[in-house]
Amino acid sequence: MIENSFNRRDFLKVLGWGGTAVALSACGNTSIQDGVETVVSYVELPEYAIPGISVYFNSTCAQCDAGCNITGRLREGRVLKLEGNASSDLNHGKMCGLGQAGVQAHYNPDRVREPLLRNGDKGEAIAWDKALGLINEKLAGVKGEEIAFLTGGVSGHVKVLLNNYLEALGTKNHYSYEAVSPSVVRAANKKAYGVEMPRLRIDKAKVIVSFGADFLGAWVSPVHFAQQYAKFRKANENGRGVLVQIESKMTLTGANADRWIPIRPGTEGIFALGVVNALGSAGLALPADIAAVSKSYDAERVTKDTGVSGEQVTKLAALLKERSPSLVIAGSAAEGYAHGSQNAAAIALLNRVLGNVGKTIEAPASVPFPQVTVSTGNRSAVQALNDSMTNGKVKVLFSLGANPVFTAPSALKFKENLSKVPFKVVFANFLDETALEADLVLPLDSALEDWGTSVPEYMGEASQLNITQPLMEKLHPNTRGMGDILLSLLKQRREKEYKDYEDFYSYLRSAIVKNKSALGGNGEDDDTFWTAALSTGMVHFTSAANSLSAKSSAAGLVLPPPAEEDSAYPLHLIPQVTASMRDGRNANQPWLQESPDPLTTIVWDSWVELHPKTAAKLGIVEGDIVEVTSRSGSIKAQAYLFPGIHPDAVSVPLGYGHVALGRWAKGVGANAFGILDQVVDKETGELALNETRVKISKTGKRVFIVKDEGAVGGSQAGVKIAVRASTDEVELSGEV
Amino acid sequence: MEKDIRESIEWAKINGDVLKSLESPRPLFWVILVVALSMFGVGVGCEVYQYQIGMGVANLNNPQVWGLYIATFIFWIGMSHSGTLLSAILHLMHADWRKPIYRFAEAMTTFSLMTAGLFVMVHLGRLWQFYYAVPYPNERWVWPNFQSPLLWDAMAIFTYLSSSVIFLFIGMIPDLAICRDHLHPGWRKKLYTVLALGWEGTDRQWRNFRVTYLTVACFLIPLAVSVHSIVASDFAMSQQPGWHVTSFPPYFVAGALYSGCAAIITLFVILRYVFKFEEYMTLPILKKIVRLTFAIAMVWTYLNAVEFASVWYSHDEASKAVLIQKATGIYAPFWWMMNFCGSVVPFVMMIKRFQTSIPVMFAVSLLLNLGMWLERWMIVSPTFSHGYYPYLWDNNQWPTLVQWGIVFGSFGWFTLLFMGFCKLFPSVSMYEVKEMVYHRSLANKHVEQSLTMNVNELEEKGAH
Amino acid sequence: MSVSNMLENWSKFRHMHPVDDKPHEEYKWAMSIDLDACSGCNACSVACYAENNLPVVGKQKFDAGQQMHWMRIERYWDDDGREFPDQGAQFLPMLCQQCEAAPCETVCPVGATNHTADGLNSQVYNRCIGSRYCSANCPFKVRYFNWYDYPTTDNVWPAEMTQQLNPDVTVRGKGVMEKCTFCVQRLERAKNNARTEGRLVHDGEVQTACQQACPTGAITFGNLVEPESKIARQWAHQQVELAARDKQAKDEQEGGSDLRGYRIFEELRAYPSVMYLERVRESAI
Repeated sequence: MIENSFNRRDFLKVLGWGGTAVALSACGNTSIQDGVETVVSYVELPEYAIPGISVYFNSTCAQCDAGCNITGRLREGRVLKLEGNASSDLNHGKMCGLGQAGVQAHYNPDRVREPLLRNGDKGEAIAWDKALGLINEKLAGVKGEEIAFLTGGVSGHVKVLLNNYLEALGTKNHYSYEAVSPSVVRAANKKAYGVEMPRLRIDKAKVIVSFGADFLGAWVSPVHFAQQYAKFRKANENGRGVLVQIESKMTLTGANADRWIPIRPGTEGIFALGVVNALGSAGLALPADIAAVSKSYDAERVTKDTGVSGEQVTKLAALLKERSPSLVIAGSAAEGYAHGSQNAAAIALLNRVLGNVGKTIEAPASVPFPQVTVSTGNRSAVQALNDSMTNGKVKVLFSLGANPVFTAPSALKFKENLSKVPFKVVFANFLDETALEADLVLPLDSALEDWGTSVPEYMGEASQLNITQPLMEKLHPNTRGMGDILLSLLKQRREKEYKDYEDFYSYLRSAIVKNKSALGGNGEDDDTFWTAALSTGMVHFTSAANSLSAKSSAAGLVLPPPAEEDSAYPLHLIPQVTASMRDGRNANQPWLQESPDPLTTIVWDSWVELHPKTAAKLGIVEGDIVEVTSRSGSIKAQAYLFPGIHPDAVSVPLGYGHVALGRWAKGVGANAFGILDQVVDKETGELALNETRVKISKTGKRVFIVKDEGAVGGSQAGVKIAVRASTDEVELSGEV
Repeated sequence: MEKDIRESIEWAKINGDVLKSLESPRPLFWVILVVALSMFGVGVGCEVYQYQIGMGVANLNNPQVWGLYIATFIFWIGMSHSGTLLSAILHLMHADWRKPIYRFAEAMTTFSLMTAGLFVMVHLGRLWQFYYAVPYPNERWVWPNFQSPLLWDAMAIFTYLSSSVIFLFIGMIPDLAICRDHLHPGWRKKLYTVLALGWEGTDRQWRNFRVTYLTVACFLIPLAVSVHSIVASDFAMSQQPGWHVTSFPPYFVAGALYSGCAAIITLFVILRYVFKFEEYMTLPILKKIVRLTFAIAMVWTYLNAVEFASVWYSHDEASKAVLIQKATGIYAPFWWMMNFCGSVVPFVMMIKRFQTSIPVMFAVSLLLNLGMWLERWMIVSPTFSHGYYPYLWDNNQWPTLVQWGIVFGSFGWFTLLFMGFCKLFPSVSMYEVKEMVYHRSLANKHVEQSLTMNVNELEEKGAH
Repeated sequence: MSVSNMLENWSKFRHMHPVDDKPHEEYKWAMSIDLDACSGCNACSVACYAENNLPVVGKQKFDAGQQMHWMRIERYWDDDGREFPDQGAQFLPMLCQQCEAAPCETVCPVGATNHTADGLNSQVYNRCIGSRYCSANCPFKVRYFNWYDYPTTDNVWPAEMTQQLNPDVTVRGKGVMEKCTFCVQRLERAKNNARTEGRLVHDGEVQTACQQACPTGAITFGNLVEPESKIARQWAHQQVELAARDKQAKDEQEGGSDLRGYRIFEELRAYPSVMYLERVRESAI
């Protein structure tokens, strides 16, 4: 030890001066700023609120619809951070950036704090009693079919109450709308496998061929898939998995592929049949119906139609034949066309040919209570609602968790039609574009303050009911949970039925405890069961095994030829769904705005991705402000030269360009939803996201793109930084 | 060609002329003072803003963490070297032409060091905690990090500053006594009385004075060399491409002397006019400084070439890349400008006609200083914008007005201090000029004498 | 306190590097990042913002290069002039490499950045005077400076947002340098808990925030001293040595070996504590 010459006398001296200093500083001049903070000691220490000790509560992530199980870390009664719930089947303790930002939705200073009633252009704060009374009043004399309820994907007990309320109102008009959802693929899956969303065993596959499914980024349940992907990549008994991604615009998943194949937009189905044909030529026995459909798709035709070399097709077929089981996934790139359903059906054939159904495509765990399963949203719902509104058939509209004014294509003129509805109630955390049009805005609790349950659409091993519970006390006294609001509304109608439930919590508890035998709590004491459910943040359904019906047939499958050239609008617009922004509902969370887009590293703005070749042709350089014009409208954004895109396509991220939603979202970027053409998938009636044709023109302005990558872009300039090896150069087995 | 200092000039006239500079300079003096003051005001304004808001207003970033502040810091440290060169080195070498100009050169040393010191402060993120870099004993046993070149730097500068203040002061004592004796009563006289330390010009005082002055001069020379070597170590001891160069210390010292000499020419011209020193700061002296400057320019050019060559022929790809970037990248105009100003412009000084041409030399000296300032910038910034890590290469990083304002203000601050000094203290050494005149006349007499002596000797020899 | 005392104990003042006579005793925290598993999704970076009270600087300051992400995901393309990046992109999470012979430590004039006994490159905010020499000398440029007063004048956390701040981590004021700490607050807590129970921290007992979030589990973190820890086994398998005197085993073999582990800028001999595992791409397709 180092000798210290600090002796007792010195110590006393210091103590003396220090003591004086403390005494002086106690005279009003403390470290607590006057009026800014107060320190009040607990008279009685609340349970689990030991100063300096973190406590953890489990709940459910509400940032997207994947429904990951989360653990909130609390200190002194405040949520600090969200972690993945380690006992979850879905996300196994992991979390994405979007989920992490959930705390910023909760603490966001732009939250709605009071019920607001429209008074001219302003919202006037009113009391809850008055607000709920007003709803009752406005509903009086309105026929059931003139009431509409618009939601996002909704499940769990809120859905139960919602349905009961709709029933009490005598309406069936529940529109479940999601601006970006795999709804065409759902329909195709239903046809091919008998279920909307089968369980994809990425971890079991040796080869994955993904047609634009961004399962590592923003598709269905990315955190769950990412963990399967990690297993898939490990050199385990299956060997290291090979990922082939076929899409016109590179997604995050495409950026992680062993082979990324740029394809002419819309020809995914042709490519799939080409691979089927090549598999047949390679000696794989094809069922007769499939062989009949695929036989004309020889290498030459595929190359001509898709722009992918025949050699590539042959190589892929050889790989698929050699390594089994594989997994073929149809994603949003394939489904976003007028022939999206055919594309998805053609891709599904590949799985049948390769014998993947039952091996890497499994039946999902079933949920014994259909009333709580998710009513998945789609894009045709908003069209249906829009039609009703246009005809003046909607007198009262409720809206929860959807923002169609922002996300609906401008061709629908949704905002205009919305104004034809005499009374519009929006339940919202933030004043988004739709809430701004409302007559009454009811402020919701944040997902970290509210009670609730949900059933994720995509589940792991077993089906589960996720529990959302308050991680902390309400930040704002005048917000309410959606369940509580629905309960109050129901009490207006069915007083007798619901009078026993003081609040949504008591309803929830009794509803779950009542069914504990089906929830794995057979024979348990009510309190024990309930406490255990809350502490794990989920309950599992005991359910019968589901089964797939592999009935995908090639009969009637007709693929249109590649899209004709359009000289007025020569480029395909591929709106991209980024992992952070999705449909834009989280754009007001600054972490997400500041977190660089993984592929372009751009922050705080929209951009237009162009292949350098296309850009050169148009004379565009990076940072040029370009105007992207479709038949439905135009936006202006900065051009970014991006090698991972087909030269016939341009890509613009969705979710930017809010005109409301608070300080961090408003005015950032341009809204690409607005310029989408109203073209729908012929079978499902879903808006075909990738069917919009655009032209690009320079505006003459140029900016420095605000991005994380430096002046040399993605080059390593000959320095060994991020190194890549090919599989024959490294020995992966035996790795720790 | 103009005349050198007259040998016949009376001592009383020397006193009179120099003392007049303390009282009645030309009106230009006041103009310069006002301009300098307003420049300084701009700098202070910028610094206050930066202090309040944070360093970010200077538009520094990761990786460009230093920018113009450190570049200008080296520039001012460099400026300080010529004072020592003129007064100490040339003193030891008995070059008598230094005598009329060494005083202001020494003052320049002191004030440019003070200016440089300001930049150390200005560039600190938390300048209110600057004293953490001072090794003061404390109960927590927290010492500064003696491994850090920046700490050596701080110490070297502080030592150099204090030594050069002492050197300047000691060399002024006899002149302060003259001021004391000749000025009218007032606060100034009181000041001179105190500062003259009771100088009476006795034999014993002169003897002690000479020994002390010589000792401090001897002490100062290695210090001056080490100071800029240590500043060079800030860079050479780091691990960054473009900085990690062995030849940096001599290169920095040569650059320092170079910029210092150029600054002396500039100030020579200004002082000569403003304080009416035409009789003392004569053109033959200018010619000598110009020749010296040219010699140093060639040394610098050589060392510059050595640096390029050692990088070019090394296997250090990163350093090579920085060099290429300097010559071809975004900094290329400045880099070529620096080479032009530093290595081509000095050849004007080869032309005899121009060596004594005041306007030409004034212009040349300004260009040389611009070149030297650019040199410092070209040492600091390109390495940041093109370091080891390509992801952080940065082409979009230009100093903001705040940064420029502070750099601009530093020139005001220096001019303010310097002109203030010249107004308050004799900027030409009276006693040394007297010595010079005396020695020169003596030498001439000696020649005459020896000539006569030879005749006498011959005569004597002949007599034998 | 006295100068003589300082001189007598000189060697002890700054001697935490694992030199031959003084290796790491109980802990040496180290990390490995499997670039083959990393999907570049940015979850680690956001988790770091949440855990370490990193300020969101906004568009203008991001443009000025003043962003504060301690963990940045870099995206590279192949340099070979192909029309399409048909083997995908390269992602690299870059954070403070916690070098054993850290270039930043030796140059700090006030000793604000130090090596700790368990091999971390620590940053003492209170001591920092903001000379930024450490950043100037960092080969990886992973040190971030507080160019503005983010909590006050910049108002990065308005209103309720302050309640999210992690009380275990200082909110830095203007003028100090900061960087990845390997979540030292979590490490200290784990060490304290272990000490109370009279043991060492178990492997896997403590996770950094980035590691905890990473959906593909690309990040491994642990104690390199304990030979059975996952991190130590990984380093050993890849034959990467912490203080290799010259080259790693991988670099010594002609044409490279079949190992994947490497450290960035090995030749600078900073001895980083972060090992990267090469990204792998299938040769058959």
